[in-house]
Order: sequence, then structure tokens, then C-alpha cells
Amino acid sequence: MDPALLSVRGLRKSFGNRPVLNNVGFDVRAGELVAFLGANGSGKSTTLRCVMGIAQPDAGVVAVDGDDLAKLPWRQLQEARRRTAMIFQKIHLVPRRTALDNVCAGALARIPTGRSLSPLFFPRSIQLEALDCLDRVGLADRAFERVGRLSGGQQQRVAVARALCQRADVVLADEPVSALDPHAADQVMALLHHLAHVEKLAVAAVLHQPDLALRHADRCIGLLHGTMAFDLPSSDVGPVHLDALYAPDRVAAA
Amino acid sequence: MSEETIVRGQLPVRPKQPLRWITTAAGVAAVVVLHALAIQGTGFEPGLLVDGWKGMASFVADAFPPDLSWEKTIRPGLDATLVTLWIGLLGTTFSVPFALLLAILAARTTTPHHLAYQASRAVLSFFRAVPDIVFALIFVTAVGLGPFAGVLALICHNTGVMGKLWAESMEECDSGPQEALRTAGANRIQQVANATLPMVVPQFVGLLLYRFDVNVRSSLVLGLVGAGGIGLLINQSIKSFRFDAMVTDILIVLVLIIAVDQLSAWVRRRLAA
Repeated sequence: MDPALLSVRGLRKSFGNRPVLNNVGFDVRAGELVAFLGANGSGKSTTLRCVMGIAQPDAGVVAVDGDDLAKLPWRQLQEARRRTAMIFQKIHLVPRRTALDNVCAGALARIPTGRSLSPLFFPRSIQLEALDCLDRVGLADRAFERVGRLSGGQQQRVAVARALCQRADVVLADEPVSALDPHAADQVMALLHHLAHVEKLAVAAVLHQPDLALRHADRCIGLLHGTMAFDLPSSDVGPVHLDALYAPDRVAAA
Repeated sequence: MSEETIVRGQLPVRPKQPLRWITTAAGVAAVVVLHALAIQGTGFEPGLLVDGWKGMASFVADAFPPDLSWEKTIRPGLDATLVTLWIGLLGTTFSVPFALLLAILAARTTTPHHLAYQASRAVLSFFRAVPDIVFALIFVTAVGLGPFAGVLALICHNTGVMGKLWAESMEECDSGPQEALRTAGANRIQQVANATLPMVVPQFVGLLLYRFDVNVRSSLVLGLVGAGGIGLLINQSIKSFRFDAMVTDILIVLVLIIAVDQLSAWVRRRLAA
């Protein structure tokens, strides 16, 4: 089995005195698509945000390829951050720019500041690489289309291409398909599955659709009130597990 | 609230807010008092206007019909209007680099440091607080009477106003793309150039056109204090009691203002599409 590219141990985080994460730990290996499941407020997104360094965990270890991020010197930390890319529910592309320019923006860390002030100055090699990334998500023919004119599913695939252009080998997706129709959602999930299995990336996705998770993910991690409820191969996840995740909230609401 | 049963077809009793009418009454009273003070402070007296109607009537009688002689009035009027337009144009465009730099420093989402934010806010406030006419009087002492002083004055004042408007539109815009680039390892300049600025281009252009519109009208007033243009001509007409020529000048200005307004409306429509 491949070694874990992303490994998280003993993650804790509170907002004020309300604990949101309590001893969360998991591994994501290269070539693997892992789905995070859980009710609203169970800590799925916070987990991803702590891994990305957008939120600061109170305790715990986040390691990329065996290196503890908290102990890395600044330059190596930047390099580790470069290797992890995030995909957002709200997509977060610039609608007025073309798909190609948006994908190039994933490579900004490799472009000198002076040449990054306008897409006109982006190095040719980066643009070629971005085109290749668009090709990998099946959108090379839309390279010069403004992102705002693409459909939601296509936009999310452009966002995936941006993550590829970042040369990330760990891709974290925070509800990547929540705003998409079922067909587009399936397409994006199939793409993430392809990235894991064919391109050997480590992919973790927060999902609100258990059926999509069971169909596309190799492994499912269930979070319940900030603690790990289960971490099982998708084939072993059954109705019992899912009911345990989503039922408590329904009981509380009734 | 939760114990109250909801009966179908019957509106539940609205929860009472006992102090509401007191605050409303206090608000109305405050507005009335302020208006009473303002009327006193400005010597607002409609009676004076009624008594003095004859003065206005003779003024209007002198002004009509407008003086439409080409050589004496219309041509100088058009030439001067063009100068007014040029002052407004340069005053707007030459303030863009300063406004842009200060706006980036003065927007919470793009500023590199808290101190830079405070400092640039202070600079913008200063340029905004000093009226363009005061700037014009100051620059006249340096570069003499003429349109150039007007341009410099507008650059200063417009930097303050447009910088603040731009900073606010950057703060209001969706910061998601900026955050996405930050997680991808882009530095702050790269984030601003590739996420924030392209997101706000339509707002920036809209505000720029709005300021151009305002500045053309301001440059008219600057003409009155010696910055040249049609304002100067209007001032001279009044001083020499040539009210018919003044009306012609005002008509030319009216056409100019409508043209600028139409142009900016057209560009903004194109941008929105």
C-alpha cells in the first residue's frame, strides 16, 4: 500500500468554549479518494480548513508526506502548502477572466511577482501547463471562454484544473458538488475519482450526499459532533452507520 | 413563544414592543427641532422671495432671448466648454494611479499592514475634506491663473473621493477568490492583481465615470475662481451684465452635461451586460 501523503493526528479545535473537533485523526494515501460525511456542524469543513492552515487548530499534528507542518521552516512550509490544494463549494474563480487565466492563477507561487500583474505577462510555459491541466479535466476547448459563461459543473472542473496547475498532490475539496445538479455532481466526483486512481493524487472531499460518497470514494470517514464516528472502506458502510451520523440531529430538531 | 399553539387560518398575536412608540416620537421630535434650528440659522424666509419678484423678473427679461451671435458668444462659449471638459477629463484620469494605490492600501481586504491602512485612510480623508475650490486657490498661487491649476485641484480632490469609493467596493466584493489564491501560495500583490482587482473592474469603471461626470461639473465652478473654461465666461457675463450671453453659455453647459451623462450611462450598460 502507498504511504500516507496526508496524515492527521489528534486534531482539536474549539470556537470559544464550544469544542468542534475532538481528537480527529486519519490518513489519505496517494491514489485514494476519501469522503468525509457528517451532519451540519459536525466539523467536516473545519477539519479541512485546519489542514489547509486557513483555520488554526488548538492541538494536533498535520503532516504532508511525513513532514509535520508545525515544525517546518517557512520556505519548506510554503512548499508543503503548494502540494495541498483546496477546492471550494462556492468555486471561487474570477468570473470575468478566462478559464485559462484562472487555471494559471494556481501557479502564481511559481511566477515572479512582476510577471503576475496581468495574464498578458504570464510565462508561456505556465500557460501551456494550464492548458494541459484544462485538458485533464476535459475543458481544453473552453480555455478562452470567460469562466462566468461556463456552467456550474464546468466551473468546478476549472477549479480542479487550477488545483492541478498548482502541482498539488493532495487535493482537499470542501463540498465540491453541493451547488451542482446531480449530473454535474456525478461528473465532478468521477473526475476526483480519476485524479486519485489514475493520476495517483491523494483526494479528500467533504460530501453531503452519502450515495455519491459510497459510489465514488474508496473510504468514508464519518464525523459526529467533532469526533470520529467511523473510518471504513466504502463497501463496509451501511445504513446503520449513516443513520448514526444523521439521526441525532433529527431527534434534536423534532 | 414555543408554547403558543398556532391555529390554522388565524394570525398569532404579534409580540409587543412597549418602548417602540417612545423611540419613534423622540426621533420625530429631534428631526423637528433640527429643522427649526436650520431655518433660523439660514434665514429661510419665503416672504422675501415673494417681495423681491420684480428683481428676478427684470433679470429674466434681460436674459431672454439668449444672445446667439456666433462670433461674439457661441464660439467663445464652445471653446471655453471644451477647456472645462479637458479639465474634468485630466482631473479624473490623472488621479487614477494615486487613487488606485491608496485604495489598495486603504481596503481591509487588501492592505499589507494595519498601519498602512490607517495612514492611507487618513490621507484619503484629508484630500476628501479639502474642497477642490480650496485646492484650486492654493495651486493658483503656484502655477498662476488658468486651467492647469484647475486640473491639479481636481486631481487632489478626486484622489480622495475615488480612492475611498474604490476601497469600499474592494471591501464589499467576494473575498473567496482571493482566499483561494492565498491557499495556492500566491503572495499578496498577486492575490490583489489576480483576484480582487479583476473582480471589481465593473464597479471601478462605473465609479470612474461617475466621478468624471461630477468633475466636469466641478471644473465649471473652478472656472469661477480663475481656472478658466466656461465657468470663467459665465462669471464675466454676469459681471458685465450680459445676461443674454450667460444664458447661452448655460445652454451649452447643459448640452455638455447631458452628453457626458449619456456617455457614462452607455458605457455602464455595456459593462453590466
